[in-house]
Amino acid sequence: MTSPRPNLPLEMRPDHPEPDHPSGQARWWETLVSALVFLVGAGLAVGAVDIPSEAGYGGVGANFLPWVVALALMACGAVLLWEARTGGYREMEVGPGDAGPDWRGFVWVSAGLLLNAALIERIGFILSCALAYVLAVQGLKRAFGKPHRTWVVDIATGLAIAAPVYWLFTKFLAINLPGLTAGGWI
Amino acid sequence: MDTVNLLLQGFSTALTVTNLLWALFGCALGTAVGVLPGIGPATTVAMLLPITAKVDITASMIFFAGIYYGAMYGGSTTSILLNTPGETASMVTAMEGNKMAKSGRAGQALATAAIGSFVAGTIATVVVTLFAPVVADYAVKLGPPEYFLLMVLAFTTVSAVLGKSTVRGLTALFIGLAVGLVGMDQISGQPRYTGGKPEFLDGIEIVLVAVGLFAVAEVLHAVLFEGKVAETQNTLTRVHMSRRDWRRSVPAWLRGAAIGTPFGCIPAGGTEIPTFLSYATEKKLAKGEDRAEFGTRGAIEGVAGPEAANNATVTAALIPLLTLGIPTSNTTAILLGAFQNYGIQPGPQLFTASAALVWALIASLYIGNLMLLVLNLPMVGLWVKLLKIPKPQLYAGILIFATVGAYGMRQSTFDLFLLYAIGAIGVLMRRFDFPTAPVVVGMILGPLAEAQMRNALSIGEGKWSVFVERPVSVVLIVVILAVLILPRVMRRHAA
Repeated sequence: MTSPRPNLPLEMRPDHPEPDHPSGQARWWETLVSALVFLVGAGLAVGAVDIPSEAGYGGVGANFLPWVVALALMACGAVLLWEARTGGYREMEVGPGDAGPDWRGFVWVSAGLLLNAALIERIGFILSCALAYVLAVQGLKRAFGKPHRTWVVDIATGLAIAAPVYWLFTKFLAINLPGLTAGGWI
Repeated sequence: MDTVNLLLQGFSTALTVTNLLWALFGCALGTAVGVLPGIGPATTVAMLLPITAKVDITASMIFFAGIYYGAMYGGSTTSILLNTPGETASMVTAMEGNKMAKSGRAGQALATAAIGSFVAGTIATVVVTLFAPVVADYAVKLGPPEYFLLMVLAFTTVSAVLGKSTVRGLTALFIGLAVGLVGMDQISGQPRYTGGKPEFLDGIEIVLVAVGLFAVAEVLHAVLFEGKVAETQNTLTRVHMSRRDWRRSVPAWLRGAAIGTPFGCIPAGGTEIPTFLSYATEKKLAKGEDRAEFGTRGAIEGVAGPEAANNATVTAALIPLLTLGIPTSNTTAILLGAFQNYGIQPGPQLFTASAALVWALIASLYIGNLMLLVLNLPMVGLWVKLLKIPKPQLYAGILIFATVGAYGMRQSTFDLFLLYAIGAIGVLMRRFDFPTAPVVVGMILGPLAEAQMRNALSIGEGKWSVFVERPVSVVLIVVILAVLILPRVMRRHAA
């Protein structure tokens, strides 16, 4: 079982083979991610201090696994940090998008998701999800380089997906989703 | 004979009109999400978990199982026709399948994939029928130490063996275990890591983690990184196999099923190893003209074998899930979550306590495979049309369904914010090549493993030697060490 990559047809191979020394930016990100893993472990350790260790008949109590997980994550974080500082993560599958992330599109999609969370109980599932759809599709169209002066179509599509979904789940499957009116159709 | 009677009873439950419709709906939805990029069976089942609150358990399990193996059929269609395979399982299919499609043989590739999936899926279902009850009978005799070690085996294979980097796999596993820690401790009732928030007392919902890590992360990843990726689609040709294609495919299907089934049976998981093994076997066995097609025009054995192996593995993976309660992939982990939503814990007792349910489910596998053959052979053109949906609209639409799943479970907007946060973490994981399956398996299996471990220690009166005092547990420890060491040795040999 070697790594699958050598067998891949040409068009599936990443355009740029893995660099021996990742760019400074990639290293910075890898260091950050490793540090985050370590910090999560450390945070779990701090939390584990407060969990009582009373064990009863068993040798270990409610705080045993938390300690194991905390220490393991700190160890993983440390190894990752070492990898990041010594030539980058090992055996990385290089993803698409070497041109750099499209933050503009990301903001659009994020706005859609967060506004949806904030508004769903005020304006109801249909309107809130349609709004999320419109913002997300606008961001995605920009990121994919497609024409995006399509507000009317996007709004109509958003409503055309959200409304039947709402009816299907609330009327047929009796799942509670918030509506705008008491009648339950909007 | 007992098995035959139970299976017949299962068929009588599965063949009712309602259950047939659920199976059909599941298979069709499964094929669709398998074909569509950006959404897979794990995400789909996770998003639909809220229906467990209302739909009867037999119907919903038949439905979910249909999605589970329907997606395998659909996935091969995409990997043959597109140059970007959706899931790792279809990566091997893509190697030869893409080549075949490029040289005008897409129809033959699709046919051998669909029929091979049917043949292997049915063989594996027979194995499930015959062996699952035997395993369950045996598993009843296992105690907490053995269960704990079986779960450790599952953790080890999912995190340390299957991925490319052991340290990233382990990191993902421990993050999953950490998520599983949140909430009330099962044994002492002690709240852990709730931060005083009542929302966290019941733990973090599986739906949130699964939908966040798969659906939301997928969309965020797409908008960030995939805008400039060029995609080409191969043209679909008539779905038809010549006599020669049949002669080359049939042995490959059978070999694929023979390789895939045992891999599914063990609580180790992953379709990568069996599909690659099958591919390597076919390439080795091919001679002359057929051999020359590998890597050039595309060899039909190279599609038939791995596809069969894939389906056999996926189907046989139901044995460890149903008899031991051990999931080894994202989707089976979420299926376990669905059982838990009904207050049922899969395991050896399932075959006695919920016999009707189990046998209806197994019967529905036979029915589902047949439905999928029909859905995927004559109707393949219909599914290919799904590939025409533009990516922006598809991804934005997925978010609406993600909202249903995340909000519908507990009716809490807090969960929607959490969903976004998990999605952002998922993007980081994806970008830095951390596997997701260990997170989901760790989160769902973690609390069960912890309970088994503490029960085992109670039995041993606090002594860790309880884990080496029984023959089965010693064997399991040896197996765990073997799966850690052997693949590395094999890899070195192959290289």
